Amino acid sequence: MVRIDFNRLRFLVIDDNAHMRRILRTLLHGFGTREVYEAEDGAAGLEAFTHYSPDIVITDWAMPIFDGLELTQMIRQPGANANPYVPIIMLTGHSEKKRVVAARDAGITEFLAKPISAKALYQRILNIVVNPRPFIKTKTYFGPDRRRNVNPNYVGPDRRKGGKADIIKQQPLLDKAKALT
Amino acid sequence: MSRRPEDHAEASVTKFKDYEVITPPNKLEKAVVHARPSEHYEPDPVARAEQALLTLSNDFAQWMEAECRRLDAARRKVREAGLTDAARDELFRAAHDIKGEAATFGFPLIEPVARSLCRLIEHSPEPARIPLVLLDQHVDGVRAIVHRNAQGNSERKAQVLAERLRQVTEEFLAHENRNRPGYLDEVAAPALAPDPSSG
Repeated sequence: MVRIDFNRLRFLVIDDNAHMRRILRTLLHGFGTREVYEAEDGAAGLEAFTHYSPDIVITDWAMPIFDGLELTQMIRQPGANANPYVPIIMLTGHSEKKRVVAARDAGITEFLAKPISAKALYQRILNIVVNPRPFIKTKTYFGPDRRRNVNPNYVGPDRRKGGKADIIKQQPLLDKAKALT
Repeated sequence: MSRRPEDHAEASVTKFKDYEVITPPNKLEKAVVHARPSEHYEPDPVARAEQALLTLSNDFAQWMEAECRRLDAARRKVREAGLTDAARDELFRAAHDIKGEAATFGFPLIEPVARSLCRLIEHSPEPARIPLVLLDQHVDGVRAIVHRNAQGNSERKAQVLAERLRQVTEEFLAHENRNRPGYLDEVAAPALAPDPSSG
């Protein structure tokens, strides 16, 4: 049986609505988390992300200055920050297909439509912690593998091409950043 | 804030012709606990969180009042300044927040009204053509339902009001988007959110 020791996880909640931040903080503390940091817009969120190095980011979509989608795109910049792989949960009232696809293509890890529930939030976090997905980097995308399931009966064009190459070790991004300064 | 040892772990990269598969270091492994079924462990975390939320729920009616005041203030700005980008965004965000909070705060009947207001603002190709009276009716509808909710027994009236506002809004949007065939069908596609339990 697998469970999560929430006490070992550090969260960053980014939402311009103070009530929603309070609800998220309450739920996360209820799960057992101690470390919950908050920011009230995308710009403050990016600063807090750099400062606190959270394990998981939970962000709203509609926010002033820059929104949750733009924030995700800024975090998912290889080499631009210490952890471009950080899991991001997009918590939003936008649940239309077009929006979900846009969020996925920006590189979010999980999508959570409002109204929020303790169970739905817990399931997203459990999935992130227990079933981490590899990252895919193409010319146009950097983010978690958007294919959650392998379909052996898939018929259609092979959208990822090329033979397998050697596994190479990548220099930690933090070291790269340090080398540049 | 100091970085933790796991922040320095390396990612492994598998290169293909047109893409790379990167397996980042699993920084969250530290939080995974493998417990035997017979092993005693803490109470269900979901139940604990729900209980914590229940404690907070005493404040929800007051919070919704504050959201209604914010919506009303945004509406007044639109009345004064017209549907400028800033005024429109403020009204949209206020309605959008109410839509997302309605069920959580115990006011599910206002969700469809707030949703209709969001659609009206978001999908009108020329916002300046939105009838202010229709915006007013939505805002007043939300406020009325919130206030009546406290008195109870207003469910049927709220449903009728929400449905009428939805119909008028959809008729307006259909007319305004008549030169964008398929646009409303696309935004009306069924809600889609990945189910994390599906693997």
